[in-house]
Amino acid sequence: MVYLFKSVTKLGEAARQHIDNLGLATLFLLRIVSSLFTGLVSFKQVIKQIYFIGNRSLVVIIVAALFTGMVVALQFYDTLVRFGSVDLLGSAVALSLIKELGPVMTALMLIARVGSATCSEIGIMRNEQQFDALDCMAINSYRYVMLPRLLAALICVPILTGVFDLVGIGGGYIVGIYIQGGSPGAYIQGVMDTISFKDVLVGQIKSLVFGLLIMWIPLFYGFYLHLNQKNMGAEGVSNGTTQAVVMSAIIMLFSDYIISSLAL
Amino acid sequence: MAKPIITVENLFAQYGDTLVLKDVNLTVNKGEILVIMGGSGSGKSTLLNHMLGLKTPTSGTIMIDDVDVFTAKNRELRNLRKKMGVAFQGGALLSSLTVANNVKLPLEQNTSLDKQTIDIMVRMKLELMNMAGTGHLMPTELSGGMLKRAGLARAVVMDPKLLFFDEPSAGLDPTTAVELDELILTLRDAMNMTIVVVTHELESVFKIADRVVVLFAGEVVANGSVDEIKNSPDERVQNMINRKPNTHRDDGEVYFNRLLDKGGN
Amino acid sequence: MNIEIEKYNNYQVVKLYGEVDLSNSRKIKLEIIKLIKSKNNIIVDFTDLQYIDSSGMASLVEAFNESKENNTEFHIVDANGSPLQVLQLTRLNTVFNLADSIETVSING
Repeated sequence: MVYLFKSVTKLGEAARQHIDNLGLATLFLLRIVSSLFTGLVSFKQVIKQIYFIGNRSLVVIIVAALFTGMVVALQFYDTLVRFGSVDLLGSAVALSLIKELGPVMTALMLIARVGSATCSEIGIMRNEQQFDALDCMAINSYRYVMLPRLLAALICVPILTGVFDLVGIGGGYIVGIYIQGGSPGAYIQGVMDTISFKDVLVGQIKSLVFGLLIMWIPLFYGFYLHLNQKNMGAEGVSNGTTQAVVMSAIIMLFSDYIISSLAL
Repeated sequence: MAKPIITVENLFAQYGDTLVLKDVNLTVNKGEILVIMGGSGSGKSTLLNHMLGLKTPTSGTIMIDDVDVFTAKNRELRNLRKKMGVAFQGGALLSSLTVANNVKLPLEQNTSLDKQTIDIMVRMKLELMNMAGTGHLMPTELSGGMLKRAGLARAVVMDPKLLFFDEPSAGLDPTTAVELDELILTLRDAMNMTIVVVTHELESVFKIADRVVVLFAGEVVANGSVDEIKNSPDERVQNMINRKPNTHRDDGEVYFNRLLDKGGN
Repeated sequence: MNIEIEKYNNYQVVKLYGEVDLSNSRKIKLEIIKLIKSKNNIIVDFTDLQYIDSSGMASLVEAFNESKENNTEFHIVDANGSPLQVLQLTRLNTVFNLADSIETVSING
């Protein structure tokens, strides 16, 4: 009985902690955005961050996209062939990628590669008093450290999602045509006919929102590492990074659902 | 007597249930070296953080150069900070920048000097710290002592009026520690800097301090010149000076119970 | 501005007053370099200079370099008090031609 009460208390405590975090995280984001107006953000820094994101993820995204496209095609083929609608393969693959799998898979890959690295980097900076040093030098950390990373994410993620979509459709083509022996013409025609501007727009809006989330959340967990007493030192950075990655993934999937249902 | 450049009044700081700073009062006069001394857990780092405006207290005021650190507007605080240099314990260099770019940072962000001028100033400061030719290195390539010196170069690159040191000798070999003490004295004399040093190294304290404030468990237990501190009637201060431990030893029975964890810890 | 320029024999004497720091070092540097580029020999007079910071020192280093490139002379005279300590601390007293007074420079040619 006592155990039950303790569990409920823990749950309540966790929920309260998360709501606190939500408030602080929102304030954090507002500070980053408003730092845009306090002076010129360093163009050089943004480019450096774009390079960092792209460098870490392009290959992974291409490989993941290829296999995702191939698997999706394989699955659809299996179903479509029973209805004699194999010609629809192109449309099916393209639609699933552009509207759902492209944005979500890209985001997941980036959470793993970029989100974790960012949270560690920022967490270590916090531990080593680098943010204290910036404050004491009258340098705005939000403008100097956070904003370039956020802007770079907003620029890169839609582009990388596009790359994922294209490579994925290509992967589907490989399966549909070379492995299953379908008609190339039908595949490509299917892609062109079915995909509307609205589909692409929804996909890109998702990728923009995901881009914001997968940078904002790790930055937040790294920056506020010191608020959780258990989070000091190397183990703390590791803990914080794990939390950031999990939270990013969950919130990303949640917003995926919200946007999908709004778009229908 | 001129007005002090730093005034700490009735400072109280509480974390959770613990009172970390209890009614701390002190002043720092322009051009002097004040050493804040205390053992671990005495609250001296917390006090420094408050002076730098990095933490806000439960109550109390800190005035630096006529600016109220806790209530000043952003712009006022920023202008004050441009006159302050801070040498953090581990250097606190930005890990993504070279040593030179780290030292350059305050100049690039806060002044409109020419690039050539800035480069010369950076090299001058690195030379001063015996770090000539290390500008291209990344922080990860530096030893602990070099990190501290690079951090100090950055702290003084704008020739601040006020310089703060957080445990300058920690982790340094004795020779470097002595050199650092000499440097602190020179900075006061040649550059008219007011310097606040937080430390627990006794030799340094007696050599460089104009005045000393001793903290024990968050309270100021002594405040005065080096001689006044040496003659302080406070037992805790005397223990600190004579390197005797300040913990009091319980009697045998209590100790026995503790060893066997009979108190139900 | 904390600067006064006067001719003395074949030198331009740049007299610095009060304090040279972040607020005026760049302007002073540009003035001196302008003189050097017009092939003037320079004497920087530190007599009434109370304080000079690193930006001021760096500016003088740049000016000194400019004078070398233009083959003109560059002297600093009557460094005293805090500025002299800074010259010693930065070891720039080994770099610049320090002299006691304007006359000394003039006599030694």
